[in-house]
Amino acid sequence: MQKSGASNSEKYLLSIRGIRKAFGLNQVLKGINLELKEGEVLSLIGGNGAGKSTLMKIIMGIYQPDDGAIYMKGEEVHLTKPSVALAHGIYMVPQEPMLFPNMTVEENIVIGFEEKPAELHKRLVEQMKEVGWEMDLNRKASSLSIAEQQLVEILRGLLRQAKILILDEPTSALTFDEAESLFKCVADLRAKGIGIIYITHRLAEVFEISTSVAIMRDGVITLSGLVSEFTKEALVKGLLPANSDKDKEEDQEQAKAIDYSQPPVLELQDYSGYGFNNISLKLYPGEILGVAGVVGAGRTELATTIFGRDKVLGGKVYLDGKDITGFSTKKVLEAGLNYVPEDRHLHGLFKIADVAVNTTSALLSEKCMGRFFLNKKKEREVTQKYIDDFRIKVTGQSQLTGSLSGGNQQKIVIGRSLSTAPKVVILDEPTRGIDAGARGDVYKIIHQLRRQGVSVLLISSDMEEIVELSDRVVSVFQGRINAEFGKGDINQDNLMAAAFDVKTEKEVGA
Amino acid sequence: MNKIKKIVVNWETFLLALLILEFVVFGAKNAKFLMPRVLLASVNDFIAICFIALFVTFVMITGGIDIQAASIVGLTSIIIGVGWQDGGMNIWTAAAVAIIAAIVCGALSGFFIAYCGVQAMVVTLGGSFLYAGFALLVSNFSATEAYQGISGFPDDFKIISKFKLFGVIPSQLIAFLVLIIIAYILLHKSKYGRSIFLVGINQEAAEYSGINTRLVIMSTYILSAISAALAGIMLTSYLGTAKSDLGSNLTLNIITAVVLGGTLSTGGKGSVIGTALASLVIGILRFGLPLCFKVNTQYLDIPVGILLLVVVIGRAVLSRPETAALLKKFKKD
Amino acid sequence: MKYIKKLTKAREFSSLLFLIILFAIVGCINSSFLTPSSIAACFNDSVVFTLLAVGMAFAIFIGEIDVSVGANLGFTASVVGSLLRDGHSWVFAFGVGILIGALIGLINGWGVAVLNIPSLIFTLGTNGVLRGLIYVYTDGAWVENLPAAFTAFASKPLIGDLTIFYSVTIVAVIVIHILLTRTKKGKYFIAVGDNAGGATLVGIPTVQTKIVAYVLCGIFAAIASILYASRIGFITAIAGNGYEMKAIAACVIGGISLSGGLGSVIGASIGAIIMSSVSRILVFMGFSSDYDNTITGIMLITIVVLDALMQRHAAERIRRERLLNRAANSADNKGGEKA
Repeated sequence: MQKSGASNSEKYLLSIRGIRKAFGLNQVLKGINLELKEGEVLSLIGGNGAGKSTLMKIIMGIYQPDDGAIYMKGEEVHLTKPSVALAHGIYMVPQEPMLFPNMTVEENIVIGFEEKPAELHKRLVEQMKEVGWEMDLNRKASSLSIAEQQLVEILRGLLRQAKILILDEPTSALTFDEAESLFKCVADLRAKGIGIIYITHRLAEVFEISTSVAIMRDGVITLSGLVSEFTKEALVKGLLPANSDKDKEEDQEQAKAIDYSQPPVLELQDYSGYGFNNISLKLYPGEILGVAGVVGAGRTELATTIFGRDKVLGGKVYLDGKDITGFSTKKVLEAGLNYVPEDRHLHGLFKIADVAVNTTSALLSEKCMGRFFLNKKKEREVTQKYIDDFRIKVTGQSQLTGSLSGGNQQKIVIGRSLSTAPKVVILDEPTRGIDAGARGDVYKIIHQLRRQGVSVLLISSDMEEIVELSDRVVSVFQGRINAEFGKGDINQDNLMAAAFDVKTEKEVGA
Repeated sequence: MNKIKKIVVNWETFLLALLILEFVVFGAKNAKFLMPRVLLASVNDFIAICFIALFVTFVMITGGIDIQAASIVGLTSIIIGVGWQDGGMNIWTAAAVAIIAAIVCGALSGFFIAYCGVQAMVVTLGGSFLYAGFALLVSNFSATEAYQGISGFPDDFKIISKFKLFGVIPSQLIAFLVLIIIAYILLHKSKYGRSIFLVGINQEAAEYSGINTRLVIMSTYILSAISAALAGIMLTSYLGTAKSDLGSNLTLNIITAVVLGGTLSTGGKGSVIGTALASLVIGILRFGLPLCFKVNTQYLDIPVGILLLVVVIGRAVLSRPETAALLKKFKKD
Repeated sequence: MKYIKKLTKAREFSSLLFLIILFAIVGCINSSFLTPSSIAACFNDSVVFTLLAVGMAFAIFIGEIDVSVGANLGFTASVVGSLLRDGHSWVFAFGVGILIGALIGLINGWGVAVLNIPSLIFTLGTNGVLRGLIYVYTDGAWVENLPAAFTAFASKPLIGDLTIFYSVTIVAVIVIHILLTRTKKGKYFIAVGDNAGGATLVGIPTVQTKIVAYVLCGIFAAIASILYASRIGFITAIAGNGYEMKAIAACVIGGISLSGGLGSVIGASIGAIIMSSVSRILVFMGFSSDYDNTITGIMLITIVVLDALMQRHAAERIRRERLLNRAANSADNKGGEKA
C-alpha cells in the first residue's frame, strides 16, 4: 500500500499506515490510515462490525496486522504483545473493564509496576488529586460500579504515564452524571497533551469532547477531519453507505399490503426487563417490523427475554393472543416463536458439529424427529430443504459448520429458526459480519418468509437493511421506544437520527 | 473412494490396529497369551474399566469429568454384601438397593454440577471422598471386619460372572457387549445422545435450541454412576467378596480409556466404539505386560499414565496453529 | 481498628473462626482435647498437609489444579529416604529431592500452560506415571532404616510443644504470604487466576507465571516429602496416596476459591490444620477415625457449592445492575418515569 514518508508522520503521536487484517475469509480492516496528535481527542465512530475494536486491538498489540505499519513520533514500532504497547505508552480502557475483581482498587492500579509500593501509593494519590477524583483505594474491584471501574482503568493508564489513551465506548454503561464527570476528565487529559482515541456510538459526545472525528465503515475510514468542520447531520450522512442507489429488490413492490385490522400476532404490553423498560409494540401477521437503534440500546435483551433467557420484570407478551410471558425457551419455541441470536458464534453455532446437526437442533424436542430414536431421515430432509432453499454452499450435510463462511453459517442458523415452523421470528442482526452476496440471499429469505405469512421482528443496527426490509419501524434508545415510523417515513436519515436520539439530545442540550 | 479413505484414517481404526498390535507383540513373546482360556479369563481384571469408561464418555462429552465413579464401585459392593449378610435381604434385592444408592450418588453430584454451577472436577473429587466414606460407614454395620470382606454369596449370584456362553465366552464379555450396544444407541442413535453432544459443543447454543441442558448434564452423571454400580456387582460376583475399597485405583484407567477413545477433554466429541476399543487396549496392556514381559502389576500405572500423557500432548501439539501451518507447508511441498 | 476490620473481612478469617469454634465444641465434649499438648499435636501433625496445601494453593491461585502432588510426595520421599539410608549427606539428599519436585512441577506447568491441556487430565497422567515409578525405584519394598538422627529430628520441639518443623513451616508460610501480597511478581499468581485476559492487558506474562506456579507446587511437595520421611520413619510404595485430595480440600476449607484468583497461603495452612485434625477430633468425640474422609468430602462439597452459588449470584447481580443502569439513562435524560 502507500508507503507514506516517515518525515511526514513525525509530528504525529501515532500514525497508522495501511493496516490490513483478515480473520479467515473475512477481511475486517482494508487499509486503515489514521493519525493522532498530542492533545487531540479523536472520536472514532462507526457501526457494528466496522472494525473499530479490531483496529484498537492491533494498536494494543493483542492482534498482529497482516499488512501496514504503525509509527510513533515518526518511528516505526512493532507492537507484538500488550506489554510492548504498554511500554510505548499506549493504554486502552476496554469497553468491558478488565479489572481483577478480587483485588482492591489500589492493587488493581499498581499491578505490574516496578517501583516500590510506597512510592506508587504516593504517585497514585497525587495523580488522583490532580484529576480531582476521590475513591476508596481499599475497596474490592468487584464492588465498584461500571463507571468507577472505568475510572480505575483510566487511573491505571495515567499512572503508567500513557501518552495515548484509547477509550472504547466508555459511556455505554454510565449514567448521565457519571458521563459528565468522565468528559471533564477527558478534557483535563487533553490539556496535558495526551492523545485520546475515543470510540463511541453517541454523536452528541463527539461534539461535546472531541477535537477531530473519523468515521469507519466496512474496514475503511470513510470520513475524517476536525470536528468543527462537521455538523451532526453531516456525520449521520457519513455513517450511511455512499452508494445508497442500489436497486431495490423487485419483491418489495409485489408484497401485499399488511392488513392492520387483523389482531396482532405478537404483542408486548409495557414489557420491562433487564436492559429495557416499558416496551409496548404490536407485530401483525406477515409484517416485518424493524427495530432500529444502536448497539447496547437494549434490543437484544428485549429479544432474549421474550425468548425465555432472562427474567421478566414487568408487562406481558402475547403470541397469537396467548400469554407467553415468562415461558421457558422450550415452551416459547413450542408456542411458535423463534429467535436468531445476535452472536451466532456464542449462541447459535455448534462449530464442531456438522450442517445437519446444526440445522435440526431446535427440532430435537419435537416429535417429528422421533420419540426416542433420532429420525435421521427427517433430519436429512429438513437439512436438505434449507440447503436448497437458502442456497447454502456446503460440500455435504456432514461438513462441519466451523469451516463454513459467515454467510453460510448464518443461513444455517436462520434455517434452524424456521425449522420449528414459527409464527414469529426475531432476527437479531441477521447480516452482521457476512459478505454482500450472502446478505442479498438473507434478504431474499426474509422476503420469502413475509410472503409465507411469517411475521418478523428485525433487529438491526444497519439502517440500510431496516429501510430495505421493514414495513414499519420502531426505534429503541436506551431501553425504550423513542420513535415509530410508518412505511412512508422509513428512510435512513430519520432512523439514524432516532437511533442516536438526536432530537432529544438537542432538547437536553438546550 | 472417499469412504474408504475415511475408514482408513479413522481414529477407531487406529485403536483397532493398536489392539491387534498388542495381540501380535504379546502373542509373539508368550504363546500362552493367545490361549483363549487365558485371554478370555483376563477380562475379569479390567471389565470394570470397560463398563465405566463407556458412560464416563457421556460425561466428558458434555464437557465434564467424573472421578468419583471408582468409589461408587466399592460402595455398591459393600451395600450388596452388608444388605445380604447383615440386612437379611435377598441377594438380588441387595443388588437393586446398591444400584439405587449409586443413582442417588450420581444424581447428587450431577445436581451440584449442573444446577449449582460447581466445576465437575471438584464435585466428583469431593464425591469420591464422600462415597468412599459412605462405603466405610456401611461396612461398619457389618459383623465382619472391613478388611476381610464379606463372602459366601449364593451360587446364583456368582453365576452372573461365572457363566460362559458355549463354554468359552465369559458373561462379562457378553455384558460388555450389551452395554456397548445400549451406550451406542443412547449416544449415537437417540435424541438424548444428540442433546449430549450439543450441550458439550456449545451449552448456550443448546439452551437457545430449547434443550434443557442442565437436566442432560445431570443425567450423564447418573448414567456413569449406574455403570459403576454394574461394575461393582460384576466384580463382587467374580471375586465372591464384597469390599468397600473395591475399584479404588480405577480412576486413571477410566479417564485414559475415555481420552484415548477419542473423546475431547474439552467436550463435544467422542464415541462409544472408540472408548470400548480404548478400554480393551488398556485392559490387554494391563494383562499382557505382566504375563509376557514380567512387568510387575504395580508398575502398570506407568504405561497407562504415559498413554494418557502421550495422547493429550499429541493432540495439543497437533492443534497448535504453528503445527498446522507446518503441516500445510509439508502438504504443499 | 482498620486492620481488625480488614482482617474480619478476609476469607481466611472465617476459616480461622471455624477452626476455633470446632476446637471449642470438641473441647466441651471432651475437655482433654483442649490441653496445650493435644492442640500442639494437631498443629504438628498438620505440617505435611500444610506444605502440600501451600504448594497446591499456587496451582489453584492461577485457576488450575495439580493432582500429582500425592505421587510426587511418595516418589520424592522414596528417593530422599533411600539416599539418606545409603549414607549420603542430608544436603545432597534434600537437594536431589527438591530438584525432582521442581522437575515434576516443570513438566506439569509445560503441559498446562504451554500446551493448554486441562490441568486435571494432565496431572492425573503424571500422577499415574509417578505412582508406577515409585514401584520401579523401590521394587515395591519399603524404604526403611532411615538414620535415627533424621527421624528424631521430627519430634524435636522448638516453641513449647511445637516442633521445629511446624514452627519453621509457619514462619515460612507467613513470609510467603508477605511476598505474595507485597511484591510485584507475587501478585501475578492471583492476577492470572482472577482475570487472565486483564492480566495480559497489563503486561503480565501469563504462561511463565503458570509454569512458575507449578514448579513451586512441585517444590513444596518435595519439601513435604522430606518432612514426611522424617516423621513417619519409613516410606511404603503407597506413601502419599490420596494426599492430593486432602491438599485440595485443605485449600478449599481455607477459603481459596477453586475458580482461581482468591485466597491466601495462610488460609491454606489453616485449612490444613482443620483437615488433619478431623481424624483426631473424631477419636476424641468417640467415633472411629475411619470417617475422616467422609467428613472431608462433606466439607469440601458444602464449601464449593456454597461458594459457587454465591459467586454466581454476585456475577448475575452485577450484570443486571449494569443493564438496569443502561436503561435508566433515558429516565435520567428525560427526567421522566421511575427507573
